[in-house]
Amino acid sequence: MPKIPVAKLEAGMKLAKPVVGKNGMVMLGEGTELSETWVERIRDMDIASVFIDGPPIQAIPREEALANLETRFAAVEGKPHMNLIKKIVKEHIEGLYE
Amino acid sequence: MSNIDSKVLRYKVENINTLPTVPGVLKRLSVIIEKPRITLVEISAFISNDPALTTKVLKMVNSAIYGFPGRIASVSHATMLLGLNVIKGLLLGVSVFELMQKTMNGLYEHSLACAIASRVIAQKKGLKEPEEISVAGLLHDIGKVILLLEFPKEYETAMNEAQAKGISIYEAERIQFNATHANVGSWLAEKWRFPKNLIEVIEFHHRPTLSKNAPMETAIVHFADMLVRARAFGFAGENMVPEINPVAYEMLKLSETDIKDVLNEMEDNMDSAEDIS
Ligand SMILES: [Fe+2]
Ligand SMILES: [Fe+2]
Repeated sequence: MPKIPVAKLEAGMKLAKPVVGKNGMVMLGEGTELSETWVERIRDMDIASVFIDGPPIQAIPREEALANLETRFAAVEGKPHMNLIKKIVKEHIEGLYE
Repeated sequence: MSNIDSKVLRYKVENINTLPTVPGVLKRLSVIIEKPRITLVEISAFISNDPALTTKVLKMVNSAIYGFPGRIASVSHATMLLGLNVIKGLLLGVSVFELMQKTMNGLYEHSLACAIASRVIAQKKGLKEPEEISVAGLLHDIGKVILLLEFPKEYETAMNEAQAKGISIYEAERIQFNATHANVGSWLAEKWRFPKNLIEVIEFHHRPTLSKNAPMETAIVHFADMLVRARAFGFAGENMVPEINPVAYEMLKLSETDIKDVLNEMEDNMDSAEDIS
């Protein structure tokens, strides 16, 4: 369920969460398929982003994410339990790109 | 080397309501929650009188931080369900949100992820009040906010030192302030009359074996903090994964599947949990 900035909304996307106005009122319900008009209306509201159905979008490429993981764990290499934890987190991160 | 006396630091923290660097919202809240005999009704009224605060509180109660099934639609229901200490912690959480964003970019995401992870581990361990552990996770690094507000230059030096020497921000703080965010956070929690367990979790989340009254709770937040850094949600002062305390690790006895579950819960809920501002 990725959070999409309103500028990147397109017709055909489906709301994973309701669009709620500043006063707490629900303006568009969960599950609404966005039309051109709805996209325009959402842009006219004072909100930054909305939730859309679909798999999450990763901010950085896989190779970069795995390289960063190595750097983060460098100082605790071989410390008790840390290799196992690193292995689990690595598999988890790889899973995000499948 | 440090030129800050930790006694002066403690004095400042205990008089947070008079510090010019601390914004009004936090001071007002601090005055409310440090009252010795504040009641649920009073705190409920305080929230309900402020529509923006009401919205934030309801969003947070309904978020993955607490993981309640179904929707909680009113402040009175939320306060009855959560109880005084959890509500106090939650109010602090929503009030320091913007402060965290301003003082250390990423600290709020770090804290949110830690709250979710702590709650999930607490549930796996069958603890009676997983919401209280969520609060501990949410507030465990609150000391950093005060250090950053009151000593921005010194804190930047600490962050640079941590980076340059490859030491943790916790160690760098000790060099810079003769105290750490864990000390500062526990002084605050004491001032705000939080239960002893919560004070201990905050004080010892980097040295979990020192906790006498809440070793399990402290081990949970210690583990959650490490796992959040391992997955790199948010930012907490430097980018290193800290070593897990082996005693805490053995105490928790989390299986590989347990750890994977915690990671998945964080993954699934971070986006929507961040959406509470
Ligand atoms: Fe910490
Ligand atoms: Fe932390």
